[in-house]
Amino acid sequence: MNELRLGPILIRNRFLISIYNFVENRLGIKEILDLEVFYKLAPSYLGIFSCFGGITFFMFTLQVVTGILLLVYYVPTTAQAYDSVVHITNNVPFGWLIRGIHHWGANIMIITVFIHMGKIYFHGIYKNPRELNWVTGIVLLICTLSFSFTGYLLPWTQLSYWATVVGTEIPSAMPVIGDYIKIFLRGGADVSQITLTRFFAVHIMVLPAAVIMFIVLHIIMIRRQGISGPL
Amino acid sequence: MFKKEVEIKHLPIEEKLKKIEKGEAHWFFPHHVFEQIIIVLIIMGVMITLVTLFPPHLGEKADPFVTPEHIKPEWYFLAGYQFLKAAEVFEFIGRAAPKIIGVVGQGIVIFFLFIFPFFDKHPERHPSRRPIATMIGILAALGFIVMTIWGYYS
Repeated sequence: MNELRLGPILIRNRFLISIYNFVENRLGIKEILDLEVFYKLAPSYLGIFSCFGGITFFMFTLQVVTGILLLVYYVPTTAQAYDSVVHITNNVPFGWLIRGIHHWGANIMIITVFIHMGKIYFHGIYKNPRELNWVTGIVLLICTLSFSFTGYLLPWTQLSYWATVVGTEIPSAMPVIGDYIKIFLRGGADVSQITLTRFFAVHIMVLPAAVIMFIVLHIIMIRRQGISGPL
Repeated sequence: MFKKEVEIKHLPIEEKLKKIEKGEAHWFFPHHVFEQIIIVLIIMGVMITLVTLFPPHLGEKADPFVTPEHIKPEWYFLAGYQFLKAAEVFEFIGRAAPKIIGVVGQGIVIFFLFIFPFFDKHPERHPSRRPIATMIGILAALGFIVMTIWGYYS
């Protein structure tokens, strides 16, 4: 076999063909590639507003990549957090760019989430059979906002510290359980090192795990149901 | 409903080509993938422009002993924050009433966001043919924008 046809692609390179045959003989990928990539149809009625779910997903992957890079230099202690962010911005090569993308990416992601949600609401896409997609979507919305709230404290600036003081004070208005929630969020009576450790853990471990799980559910469901038809 | 998608996926290639000729669909690869790559490149361009021209503000290091004059959350929390402040009009009910109404009220909004698709059973989807849902949506969006602006300037 001197040539290999994958949809519109014609491969003549023997080395590439032998790699393809190696994987094909072991996993049978041709069936999956044809169904899911090369002979897959995309509906023609998709407009720009249909893209915002995918754009949000792209923004999330961007946040993961820049977040991991920031994690390399960030120090989650009250004594050093601020200095490490200054160090990232001023000294680390392209640190300003990575931090800037993480900051602006978070803001743009919230806008794209709202646009996605508006499109789904106004075009009635949440209706039968997609109610569960909407529920996982609301979970993802809450996770996105929690990401912003926990991430905002991490640079340990005046703004982030006092915004967290005010923010964690809010649940204490609830009767009976309010004060317990406040202490649970802060890890004590005040916003302190324990709060920073807690928010750091939630921001880099708990929320990413939850969001990835719910994105997988969200996408599995939409792949199963297909994109909703035109209005 | 999901059967439809699976059926389209497993159509023979000739049938798929017919759909493309009729203009109902186009190939996912390369057509749709290229469109997505263009969108991703535009986003990256916008992001890097924003980062370069408006680098994120850092401000002073946190000082638990100095309370700043104006404490305001990020823009996406301003609406909720202003809602809490606006709930102070309920002070006449009792001293704790404004805070409870503000917090529990937002909890109820989130609860309704979770459950309303299960009660909206009518299959009509076009926004102009389901005016009540569309009006609620527009009012909610306007309310969010007004509260955000109010929170920003108060």
